[in-house]
Amino acid sequence: MSARVKSSRISKPGTSKLRTSLKKSNAAGYAKRHSQKSSGKAAVAFDDVYEYAPSKVRRAKIGLELDREEATDRHNYASDDGVDLGGMGQEGREGLRARLLGENADDERVDSGDDEEIDSDDAFEESDEEKYAGFDFSSKRSKTAGISSKKNARKLPQSLPEVDLNEDSDDAVSDAVSADILDEDEDEEMEDGDADTFFDVLEVFDGKADAEDDAPAKQAAEKTKAPVSDVSDEASELEDDKMSEDEQDDQDEEEDAISASEDEASPEALAELESFLSKLDPAEDKKRKSNDISATQSVLKKRRLMQERTEAGAEGEFGVSAGGSRALKLDDLLAPLASSSALTALKKSTKALTSTSSKTKTLSAPLPQRAQERLDREAAYEQTKEEVDKWSATMKHIKQAEHLSFPLQAQPEGRVSNLELAAKFKPSNELESAVDNLLKSAQLRDQDIAGTEALKMAHLSVEEVAARRAELRMMRELAFRADRKAKRIAKIKSKAYRRIRKKQRERLGGEEGDEDEDVEDAGARLKAEVERARERATLRHKTTGKWAKAMQGREGLDVDQRQAIGEMLERGEKLRRRIQGEMSGDESEDSESDDEEQDVETIKRGAFEELAMLNASEDATSADVKSKSVFNMKFMRDAAARQILEADAAADDFLKEMGGVEQGSDDDASGDGTVTEGPLVQRVGGRVTYHPGTSAHAKPAGSHASETSSVTLQSADLVQDDRNSSNAISSPRVSTPVQEINPWLVASSSSGPSRKRSEVLVQKGSDALAKSTNKLKKRTAKGGEEQERIRDDAVLEIDTSNVLTEPTSAPAIVNTKRAPKGKGKEKPKNGGVIAQLSPDDADESDGHSEVDEQERTLERRRQGGKGKGVTAFKQRELVSLAFAGDNVVQTFEDLKQVEIEADAPREVDTTLPGWGSWGGTGTKKLPPRPNLIKKIAGVDPSSRADYKKAHVIISERRDKKAAKYLVKELPYPYTSHAQYARSMDIPIGAEWNTRVGFQRGTLPRVVKKMGTIIEPLVKPS
Amino acid sequence: MVKISVLQHAPSVHLPARPGDPTPTTRNLDPLMHPFARARERNRALNAAKMDRLFAKPFVGALEGHIDAVEVLCKKPGSLSAVASGSWDGGVILHNVSERKHIRRIQGAHKGKVSGLCFAQDDRLLSCGVDSNIKLWDASPQDDITEQRPLNVYPGKSPFNSIDHHRSDPLFATASNIVQIWDETKSAAISNLTFPTSTETITSVRFNLSETSVLGSIGSDRTFTLYDIRTGKAERRVVMQMRSNALAWSPTFPTAVLLASEDHNLYTFDVRQLKNPTHIYKGHVAAVMSCDWSPTGLEFVSGGWDRTVRIWKEGQGTGPEVYHTKRMQRVSSSIFTADARFVLTGSDDGNVRIWKAKASEKLGVITARERAAIEYRDSLKDRWKHDNEVGRIARKRHLPKPVYQAAKLKRTMLDSRAVKEERRRKHTRAGESKPNAERKKVVIAEQT
Repeated sequence: MSARVKSSRISKPGTSKLRTSLKKSNAAGYAKRHSQKSSGKAAVAFDDVYEYAPSKVRRAKIGLELDREEATDRHNYASDDGVDLGGMGQEGREGLRARLLGENADDERVDSGDDEEIDSDDAFEESDEEKYAGFDFSSKRSKTAGISSKKNARKLPQSLPEVDLNEDSDDAVSDAVSADILDEDEDEEMEDGDADTFFDVLEVFDGKADAEDDAPAKQAAEKTKAPVSDVSDEASELEDDKMSEDEQDDQDEEEDAISASEDEASPEALAELESFLSKLDPAEDKKRKSNDISATQSVLKKRRLMQERTEAGAEGEFGVSAGGSRALKLDDLLAPLASSSALTALKKSTKALTSTSSKTKTLSAPLPQRAQERLDREAAYEQTKEEVDKWSATMKHIKQAEHLSFPLQAQPEGRVSNLELAAKFKPSNELESAVDNLLKSAQLRDQDIAGTEALKMAHLSVEEVAARRAELRMMRELAFRADRKAKRIAKIKSKAYRRIRKKQRERLGGEEGDEDEDVEDAGARLKAEVERARERATLRHKTTGKWAKAMQGREGLDVDQRQAIGEMLERGEKLRRRIQGEMSGDESEDSESDDEEQDVETIKRGAFEELAMLNASEDATSADVKSKSVFNMKFMRDAAARQILEADAAADDFLKEMGGVEQGSDDDASGDGTVTEGPLVQRVGGRVTYHPGTSAHAKPAGSHASETSSVTLQSADLVQDDRNSSNAISSPRVSTPVQEINPWLVASSSSGPSRKRSEVLVQKGSDALAKSTNKLKKRTAKGGEEQERIRDDAVLEIDTSNVLTEPTSAPAIVNTKRAPKGKGKEKPKNGGVIAQLSPDDADESDGHSEVDEQERTLERRRQGGKGKGVTAFKQRELVSLAFAGDNVVQTFEDLKQVEIEADAPREVDTTLPGWGSWGGTGTKKLPPRPNLIKKIAGVDPSSRADYKKAHVIISERRDKKAAKYLVKELPYPYTSHAQYARSMDIPIGAEWNTRVGFQRGTLPRVVKKMGTIIEPLVKPS
Repeated sequence: MVKISVLQHAPSVHLPARPGDPTPTTRNLDPLMHPFARARERNRALNAAKMDRLFAKPFVGALEGHIDAVEVLCKKPGSLSAVASGSWDGGVILHNVSERKHIRRIQGAHKGKVSGLCFAQDDRLLSCGVDSNIKLWDASPQDDITEQRPLNVYPGKSPFNSIDHHRSDPLFATASNIVQIWDETKSAAISNLTFPTSTETITSVRFNLSETSVLGSIGSDRTFTLYDIRTGKAERRVVMQMRSNALAWSPTFPTAVLLASEDHNLYTFDVRQLKNPTHIYKGHVAAVMSCDWSPTGLEFVSGGWDRTVRIWKEGQGTGPEVYHTKRMQRVSSSIFTADARFVLTGSDDGNVRIWKAKASEKLGVITARERAAIEYRDSLKDRWKHDNEVGRIARKRHLPKPVYQAAKLKRTMLDSRAVKEERRRKHTRAGESKPNAERKKVVIAEQT
């Protein structure tokens, strides 16, 4: 037994040499491979065994030494550090075992291995351990070695942690099925099996290795295989170590004795062994062939023998390190060289080596082949991945490309130059050869020409040739420079530069044109005319036109041209005015256009003179006219007066405009005296016409007004009577500011609340909007409205009076702004409210006659100046006209109602009268038959989308024709409805796009040329 | 000043700039002027879709000559017309596709079926068979098209299933029960790349086209294995649910490999990430027996046990173009031509058939206007494909009844399976079972 354990011990530090034999033995554990390897490989294993027999002994010694040394230390804290030590041992064992199993494993069961080991460890019983360990130690003790060798033995396992990990996963294959069973079996076997017989056998092997015959040896080896696998499979190895250490002390003596006897007894036991083997052989073979259950027993027996074999294997390995009691060092090798002079240098160079070697840094054992290969594969895959990944940018590019034209990597065809062609040219057909012959005979080919030139040159003197060359070079140089410059200029893209350049060119051209204008033919002129006509046709009457520009560029213009330009400008002016809405183009059309170039001053002067002349003539005519009959008639005179007034007003306006400050000062000086009437009211045939009064006195009045406006704010308690009295004053010409302002004061005071009220009313009115359906009420409201409107006008008038200084239409604008607004707001107003308001109105209180009203407004106008009231009135009229009978809200509601009703579910009676029923007298009218009543589902009003939404009508009707342009759900690449809608929005057909747009829009993503070979992508080298 | 009204005639406005150009038309491009543009375009799209179906006549012709089922097809790189086909009777025929003639006919090139064919450089053809031989043939056109002597014979130890040539070097790879690399000038394999633990039969091996030293193989063990002849190793192996029948490397996406699987699907894998396929292509109703990429790498063709040929768009897993013919049997090989316009298929009925890659494509010269019209129709179809009518017409394919029924049955089965799975999930504790993505189910293990 001790021998068996020994062998396991020895196998522990197994290295590469040993591996092969172990591998084979382990492999033999498989039923599959067994048949193949049984004879030859087992023999090899056996050979190994013999080979390493002596070393086995050494190894055993070492083991003993180690145990002893550490026994004391370790035994003390075996309980504490047991794990640690065990770990070491385990590592070593596993390293070994891993190798054994790893080689054999075809399939790997990664998970089960470790666990099982642990389990088996746990399951190990005390008694077993004792025995097992005991054997171990006996063997070790009997073959003790030096400390160093022991250390080596320990270190080797340490260097193989990775191997352990890797191979753990592999181990399961060998005996995953029967791992547990084996545990037990093994234990049992150890107890049951005859220890002595085993010892005998092993001794025989040890001692008589050389002498033994092949056949029994083989058998023995075969038998040993199974046990080896057992040992390796189980983590009991770990415990082996532990136990060996634990129980070292106890069993030392006994083991010593046994081992001693073992060594000595080996030759004696040979006969026994042989008989034993012969007994075992047939049973073994049978068992091997049989499967699982029956195998267990055979396994037991195998185990015993297996250890034997591993022992042998391990020995050889160990022999190397343990052979010399100390390791061979570099110094030993150098020693013979001591005499030589180079020794010192050599030592220096080897210093590094010796230092490292002294620390016993052994190289770690190479990984088992499979693990190594896997690592290599992984690395290789990474490498390939990296290599392949270089394509990623290209692939991304291809994937994202909008358009792909295959082949993607087409070689750009080199452009063949003429020179190349010429050089390559050889006449191939008759014609070509004929031409070539002709050229040859005429000596016109390139080389001939060169030759002739050389001949010509021969006549010339050196200087001449040089000069000629220089000239040629100069020419070439110049041409080259010009060429480059032209290219550079052609490349300039700046618009500004182009414009400038074009102008320059034009100017140049123009000058030239002037010079040879006389020479210019009729065609050119015609062309210019055409251009001009085009310009006219485009209605571009500005100076920006082509022709106009051309004209501008020129300096000397003849009369015709100038006139044409003038005409054009004038037309442009007219158009502009028309656009602005001034219809007074008539006078300006004729007069001003011609002399644009004259000074403004002169124009002004001329205008004034003209005005004066007109005035004079008017006076004269008015004097003359009296005698004439028709013009003396009243309406004519009125009309004439009106015209004169208009003209006056216009003249005044003009004066004011043109005269500026001096004129104004003049007016001020004479001011009040000159402008008499102001606004003028004329009644012609019962009609009242209003004319705008002159605004000459506006300024002072305005200034006063501005003062008084502040006053009004302070004193709002002025009574109407005052205003009336002020109204009564007939001549407003020289009026005290107070007097003037008083009426407005009152008005303004009255207007304040009224306006406020109107605002309040708006709110009320909007509330009462729904109620006002009664027409009568509406009418009264309208009546009230008018009064309101008038009053409002008055209010507005007051406002404007404050800004009398401005004769322009600003107040009117204010009016226009307010008028529709007021109207709009007042529309839904209740009549009753207005009735309440009316007594407050200041105007109403005065008197109700229309004439008075008019008079008053007239008065106001006289003071206020222009006819803002009128314009306001007009605006109001206009707005009311525009919105006459416009009842928007009501219409909207009606519409909505109609819509709702149309969509509502309903029943339609489809009975045709006279069909399906009896007619004639006395027939009862039958109720409609239910099958003829058609129910239309419709949309329930309460389920409408616009239910309870007063301001919208959402149609529930589905347009069948439009439905086919709709999609049920958003198509894939699009992320929003709007996106899809937009993509479908613009048609792609040629009818709706430009030619280029069409082509671009319909360009297919992939373009392949017919009959072009598309090669796979080539890696750029 | 005389006012002249000019009637000007400017030909540049309304005549084509160059003789061939279309006459320029001036139209108002204001969309408000074209209220019915959309309606008109839709109508055109509808017509385009109808015309497309109307003119979809994909079958071009058949190349006859084999006595038995066609097993393998291969095209000659750099040639549009030369295609070789190998048959179960051991015959190899070299076709000229454009003339539909035989360039060469080798009867009994191998004993048993010819399992692999590929072109070597310099107009030579390599064939391998189940008689464990690889033979090198002269493939140049000659007077005697039935010459039988191979240039070289490379004996192997076990029947070969596939052969493929390196794109540029004189190397080729064979698949038997191992993957071997051969040099054309040597009579024995120069290396063995088999995955160490592999005990399977390798059914096909293919060189990557752009990354020329990378190989892929598929085996009977449901595996796809990646090799690199630079490192000389099998680098990674993927075990899938079902075995693959064919593989093809993409010519434009060098990392993409296409596998035709026994489970009726095709898978593309990215070799940089083999954990799951990048795309699944579902459509066949029986095992897919062959596949090949279009030279553009944007399409591929597959032939199936269901007697149909399908043309797929890369990245579009459903709705392929389906070709079938009454007399066409199981499709055992299919390839694209080098100009990506035609597809060739070899089937069990012994014929090699030529199909258009685009069913309704017009063969022959196409004028610029016609091309513009075609392009317009295509873009209209594409634009309106979401429209009910247009989409329906464009998608509609007539299938032979057995295929249709099988598809229906398959759909039913899959649906019910999905329902069952859903129910099962619903009745397990919350969070305990998650729906497994279809792509993640494909690969069982990735072995290093």
